[in-house]
Order: sequence, then C-alpha cells, then structure tokens
Amino acid sequence: MNDPLAKIKPWFQGVSLFWPVLGLGLLLIFNAVFSPSFFHLEIRDGHLYGTLVDILNQGSKVMLLAIGMTLVIATGGVDLSVGSLMAIAGAVAAMLVMKISFAMAVAISLGLATVAGTCNGLLIGYAGIQPIIATLILMVAGRGLAMLLTGGQIITFEHPSFVFLGNGHFLGLPFTVTIVAIVLCFTLVATRKTAIGLFLESVGDNEKAARYCGINAALVKVMVYAYSGLCAGIAGLIATSNIKAADSSRVGEFMELDAIFAVVVGGTPLTGGRFSLVGSVIGALLIQTLTITMYNLGVAPAVSPVPKAIVIVAVCLMQSARFRAQILGWFGKRRIAA
Amino acid sequence: MYEGFFSGRVITNLFADNAALGIAAVVMTLVILSGGIDLSVGSMLGFTTILIAVLVQQKGMHPLSAIAIALGIGTVFGAFMGFLIHRYDLPPFLVTLGGMFLARGMAFVISKESLGIENAFYNHMADFGIPLGGKAALSATALIYLLLFALGIVVTHFTPFGRNIYALGGSEPSARLMGVPIGSTKIAVYALSGFGAALAGAVSTFYTTSGNPTTGGGFELDVIASVVIGGTLLTGGVGTQLGTLAGVLIFGTIHSALDFDGRLNSYWLRIAIGGLLLIFILFQRFLTRTSALTR
Amino acid sequence: MKKSFITSLRSVGMAALSYALVAGSPLAAMAKPLTVGFAQVGAESAWRTAETESIKAEGTKRKVNLKFSDAQGKQENQIKAVKSFIAQGVDAIIIAPVVETGWEPVLREAKRAKIPVVLVDRGIKVSDDSLYSTLIASDFVSEGKMAAEWLAKKVNEKASIVELQGTPGAAPAIDRKKGFEAGISKYPAMKIIASQSGDFRRSGGKEVMEALLKKYGNEVTAVYAHNDDMALGAIQAIEEAGKKPGTDVVVVSVDGVKGAFEAMVSGKLNCTVECNPLLGPMAFDAVEQAIKGEKLPKKTVVQDKAYDQSTAKDVIASRQY
Repeated sequence: MNDPLAKIKPWFQGVSLFWPVLGLGLLLIFNAVFSPSFFHLEIRDGHLYGTLVDILNQGSKVMLLAIGMTLVIATGGVDLSVGSLMAIAGAVAAMLVMKISFAMAVAISLGLATVAGTCNGLLIGYAGIQPIIATLILMVAGRGLAMLLTGGQIITFEHPSFVFLGNGHFLGLPFTVTIVAIVLCFTLVATRKTAIGLFLESVGDNEKAARYCGINAALVKVMVYAYSGLCAGIAGLIATSNIKAADSSRVGEFMELDAIFAVVVGGTPLTGGRFSLVGSVIGALLIQTLTITMYNLGVAPAVSPVPKAIVIVAVCLMQSARFRAQILGWFGKRRIAA
Repeated sequence: MYEGFFSGRVITNLFADNAALGIAAVVMTLVILSGGIDLSVGSMLGFTTILIAVLVQQKGMHPLSAIAIALGIGTVFGAFMGFLIHRYDLPPFLVTLGGMFLARGMAFVISKESLGIENAFYNHMADFGIPLGGKAALSATALIYLLLFALGIVVTHFTPFGRNIYALGGSEPSARLMGVPIGSTKIAVYALSGFGAALAGAVSTFYTTSGNPTTGGGFELDVIASVVIGGTLLTGGVGTQLGTLAGVLIFGTIHSALDFDGRLNSYWLRIAIGGLLLIFILFQRFLTRTSALTR
Repeated sequence: MKKSFITSLRSVGMAALSYALVAGSPLAAMAKPLTVGFAQVGAESAWRTAETESIKAEGTKRKVNLKFSDAQGKQENQIKAVKSFIAQGVDAIIIAPVVETGWEPVLREAKRAKIPVVLVDRGIKVSDDSLYSTLIASDFVSEGKMAAEWLAKKVNEKASIVELQGTPGAAPAIDRKKGFEAGISKYPAMKIIASQSGDFRRSGGKEVMEALLKKYGNEVTAVYAHNDDMALGAIQAIEEAGKKPGTDVVVVSVDGVKGAFEAMVSGKLNCTVECNPLLGPMAFDAVEQAIKGEKLPKKTVVQDKAYDQSTAKDVIASRQY
C-alpha cells in the first residue's frame, strides 16, 4: 500500500511499459558503444543541439500519429488513412497560410483532417464497415485529394509562425516536443481521468457487452477516428513546416505502418481492450532511434530493412513471457550441469 | 459504356492480370480466417522474383528447379513466422512486419537491380494459352490461379484442416477446448501463406519475365483489401473463398475500368479508386445486412 | 485559381467546338484523330508531373485522343494499362517505364497487334530491340558524371562528400550513383564519406543530412543529391547546423526543378544537372513517324546540361517546372 507509484499506476494500467523501455534502452546503449557522437549534446543558438534532439524532433510525427492510433486500436480498429490526412492538412495549410491568418489556416486544416477522420468513424461505427477497408478508402482517395489541391506540385511558403511550428525551439528543445507533450497530456487526462478510457476499452474488449451496458459504441468509434484524424492533421502540419513545403504526394507515405508498429511495440494489443499511450510514444521513439542508428552506422540503404526486422522480432520476443521462461530455463539447466 | 470492355479477352485478362493478387488472396483468406494477418507477402513476392531471376539467369538453373527452391524458401519462411507466433505467443502483425522488412532486405542482398530472364521455358510459358474461342485464351498464369483457387475451396471448406482454421479464428480458447491442434494449424497457415506469396512471385515472373527486388511494395495491402472486400472478417472465423474471388475481381475491375477510361488524371484516379471501393463496400454491406444483424 | 479555371473551361469549350467542326466536315473521315495510350509511372514528384503535363499538352495541341494511365509506381499496373491499350486497339503507346526489365511479354503482344511503342525517360532491357520503335531519354549515368565533373572543378578536386541516394532499386538512383562514382574516381582526393537514402523526398534529404552532420560535423565539404528535392531538404539541415550551404558545404544535385533554380539564385545550391521532363513534342513526333512507318533511331538522348549560380538567374524565368 506504500507503493510510491500507486498514484500514477492507473495511468499505465494493464500494460507493462518495462519491455519497450528496455528495448529503447538497449538500442541507446548499442549506440553509445558504436557511435560516440550519438550522445553528444551542445547548446547552439540558445537551444540544445545533437542527435538525441533530432530523434525527439523527427520522431514527433510518428509520436502524434501513435497517440491517435492508440485510441483507435484500443477500440479494436486500425487507421490506415493517417498518412494521407497528413498530406491534406499540410497542403491546405500551406496554401492558405499566405492568404489568411495563421490561426485560421491551422484551424481550417486541422478541422478538415478531423472531419475526414469523422467520415472514417461514421463508415465504421454506423455503416459497419471493417476499419481496415474504411480507412484504406480514405488512404487512397485522400492522397488523391491532397494532390488535386496542390496540382501535384510542392507548395513552398515563407511564414515565420508556420515555420516555427516544426523548426522553432521552446525551453531549449524543439517546439514539436511541446506539441507532443500537450497532446499526450491532454489525451492521458481525457482517457484516464474521465470515463472515456473505460468506454474505449469496453468497446474494444467486447462491443456487444458495451452496448448492453448503455455505451454508444458507434459514437465512441466516431470520436476516436475523428481524434486520430486530428492527431494526423497536427503531424501533417509539423511535417510540412519542417521542410517549409507541402509535398502532398510523398508526405506521410508508409507512416501508418510506423505508427501501428509504435503502438503495438508499446504494449497495446491489436485486438483492442487495453492501451498504453506512454508505451506508444516510447515505441515511436524506438523507431526513430532505429532509423537514425542506421544512418549513423552507415548501413547501406538497401539492406537497412534487415536490422530493422531483427529489432522488431527481438522486441517482440522480449515481451513474450514464454520466450523469457525458455531463456531462463536454459540458464537454469546450465547451472545444474555446472 | 466502354466498347470492348466486356469482351472475352478482357475477362480472361482480368484473371491473368490479377493472378498474383488472387493467389496471395487465396492463402491470405486462410490466414485472416484463422484470426491472423500476414504483412510479409509483398516483400516475399519481390524476394521470390529476384531469387528466381538470379538462379535462372546467373546460376544457369532450370526455371522449374529455381521455382521449386523459391517455393521451399517461402514455405520455410512462413512456417518460421508461424512458429514464432505460436511458440512465443507473439502478435502476428509484428512478426510478419519483421518478416516484411527481412524479405525486402534479403531481396536487395541478392541483387540491387532488376534482372530480366531470358529462357526458352519462360518464352514458352508467356506464349502458352488455352484457346477459349474468339480472341480469348486462358494464359498459364490465369490457369495457375484458377487451379489454386479450386484447391483453396476444397481445403478451406471441405477438409478438417479448413474447419480447424475456422474454429481457431472463431475463438482460440474454445478451439483449444474442442481439441483443435492450435500449434500445427497456425504454423501450417503461415507456411501456406509463405508458399502462396512465393507462388505469386513465381507467377509474377511469368507475367514480366523478370525479377525485381523492389516489386510488391504495398502488395500486402491490396491482398488484405481484396480478402476483406470479399466479406472475410479481419477478426477471424468468418468468410469464404468465393467471397475472396469476388473481392479480387472487384479490385481488379476497378483498376481495369479506370485504365480503360483513360481520361482521369493521377489525382482523380486515386479519388475514383477510393470512391468505387466505397460504393462496392456499401453495396456489399447492404446485401449482407441480414446476416450481419444475426451475428 | 479562378482565372485558370475559366481559361481551362474556355479551352475545353474550344476543343469541343473544333471537334464538332471537324466531325461535321467531310474531312472527318480522313482526319480521324489518333488514339494514343500513355502509361505513366505515377505522380510522385513535381518532375513527374511536369513530364505528364508536357505529354498531355502536346497531345491536346495535336488533337490526339490521349488515354492516360497512372501506375502508382507499380509495374504490374503499368503492364495492365498497356494490355488494356492493346485491347482497345490504340494507334500507338507511349510508356515511361517503372523499371528496366519485365517488358518483353507485353511488348511482344503490342508488336503482334502492330501497335508502335515509344519509350520515354528511361530505357528498358529487352533481347529484341524491334519490340519498341524508339527511346527518348536522358542518360542518368552521364548526369551523375556531369555532377561529379562540375563538383571536382568547384572544389579543386578535393572533397569529403555526403551522397543522398534516391529510393533503393530505382533506375535513376542506381545510375546517378554509378555515374558519379565513375566521375570522381579520377580524383583521389574526392571521397564519398557517407551514402544514405533520402528516398527522393525533401523530408528524407533533411533527416539524413541532419543525422550525418551530427556524425561528421565540419568534415563534410560537399553534398551530392540524386534529385533536387533531397538537396533542398539537405540545405535546410545545413543551415540549421549553423553552416552556410553553397559556401561552407557545396551542394550539387540533379533534375533542375524550379525550386533548385531559386535556391541557386539565393546562393544556397551550387549546381543542378538538368534532366528534362518536357518530352511531349519529341514523343509525339516519334509517335507520328512510327505510325507512318518511318525508320527511327533506336535511341534519342535528351541533352542534359549543368546549370550553376552564374547561369541560374538568366534562365529561371523560363523554367516551366
């Protein structure tokens, strides 16, 4: 009862954060050994500068997507459209920001992403279409829409506030870290301090039972897909701001897989029913660290998927109770033999 | 609406052009019915094409032995993923995602560039066709697809193995209580999936007479989409091979129809694909409404 | 936006009117418009879009009924599209191939149907080159060589280079790497210290460059990017690291898109080797000659040119893409 962590424990309920943290830790230790410049940090122009900062900054997009995706996966669904929603939000913001006020441009682009996410939710919650297909439709059509808006061109812009979003610094860290922190805290509070989290888990665990308990499962689904759309919109604005251009045909491509990977590695099962937002964020950091590690080690780009595969399977195995039991079993035998 | 669209040739083309997709979808149906998923099929297809090309072209092997080796590797690869999933109780999504990266990397290890296959056997295969009257002819790839599809129907719907898969996907604990051999069924399903992906790769080399390490990117999504369009539930236990055939043909027809039209630009093409998918899906939902309500 | 919409409406109206006039006149039977199928790779970059626009515009100009297909980067889709063109009995087919191999079966089908095929922007490997009429393309290897030569001159034959590769396995990435490596092999003091893939994306170029600058710091004296987008991303990373792109780090790339010229004018990019996507006029000349049965050269190499900061200002206004 005197557990000092008792107060924060409910925030991570049902999911062990130990293994993704261990995976990330091992990867960092590996880097410390093999690339000395990895942990080098210095203050440059009044803010921190170094590889670790890059990981936080570049990883912010997948972290945001993973936060939204966690809630979707908690209800037993999946959202493939996030990459395309990033493209839509980025394109709209880049086109509007030079014409109307920055706040309006952000509001409209995020609003559109949320509306698109809501459409996913309506198809899934009310029309009863399987999530993977409903969101696949938007993944394909959304990309087309974003490209239609920009005419397939890369839209560049010069706008200090918009550029600050993805490149600026706050408290010595990239501003994107602040954005992720705000979204994460808001989501944590909304899901763990209200009944919403419970609704999500009950819908993911047993939708029928949840409905009998009086939970409007369809509405819950609409809400999570809308929220995932919003998170994707924010990620799209960051990605666009980061390169000071809206690259509607390429931005966010394949990022849905990274986001799902981050969520699952973070301990949220794809079958739904329980979730860990913090785990997902750690999972996203794991991916970004892996990517940067590959650049640092000079792994040939063509074969870089191989180490990625090994890390994925290794993290999986570490999380498996059966695998750990087997390893311990081997050690036990050896001890007896000795 | 489109002159010549419903000619016999277009229909046979539909089977020939979507043979790789169809073959992978037949086995993916089994995987999804068992409650799993296999993301590695696209990379495995790419790996197989370049493996076969290198074995035939650079090592001078007979295409049939090269294909046999590729099918063997695919099966072992799938079985190993199945083993990991079963033995250590790992999520199929992550294990096969690992498999996806591994196969793609290995494809590039074999060769970074695409490689054409110049071989008498391949020319023979490319020209092979069973005439069906008129201009229509059943090509080798279409024939392989149809044979595998027939085999898929038998295995899925008329064997104890097929029933075990349904039981497993319906509820794993109940299946265990019923005495379904969980482990061997799961491993066999993923082994079959690896085999199917490799066969799809082999068929793809017939289609293009070449191997390419980059091919098959995003193929797994097309396959999964075709299966799900066909009415198979991603949660497992519900679905049919016939539905999957319909899914593959719908997916193929959407592309063919838009290619046939040829007036859309790149952007409207994507929007149209999404729109047509939506219409088909809503239509399918409408048709299966009653059965879904009783679920 | 609005204006261009009205103009396009007007041009559509004009096209319809002219079509009606031609169709109504006795000339119609003779001047039946050609139907040409164009199988494009996709719409993955501004360069690609410029190529598509060039071919579409030329088709409209010559009153050709153009059937367009976007393969979304997949060869299977492209083969399907070509087959579909053959089934429809088009008069000619233009292909911008996704990859170099795998074309033999479908081209043999086209040959049997006596439909001439014109290849644009990259070559293919076939055992029988009578399968296509002609190829109109840039030479990616020589683009890499030109970039290497220009860089060698600029840095007095001494540099530590970061190479930003395109998507692994893509023909331009493979050939631009080959050409560049061959180009610098003459100069022992020019070394590639790191070579990573930025996937032809702006964001990829930036991310890779950020990481490599942390690792190598001031050691990096030059950047060679396989396309302009990655170079533009890398430029941002160099600036954020507190260095001046164009002076502290020499940046060379390939393609010659408008953004690259703007960067050269502002002194941040040193050189871009143009890879011209405006192949429409040449492609349709070839199509018309092929249909008439004239003999065409098997390969027409589009002359590429290296532009640097001294020439950028003069040509920037005339850049269409």
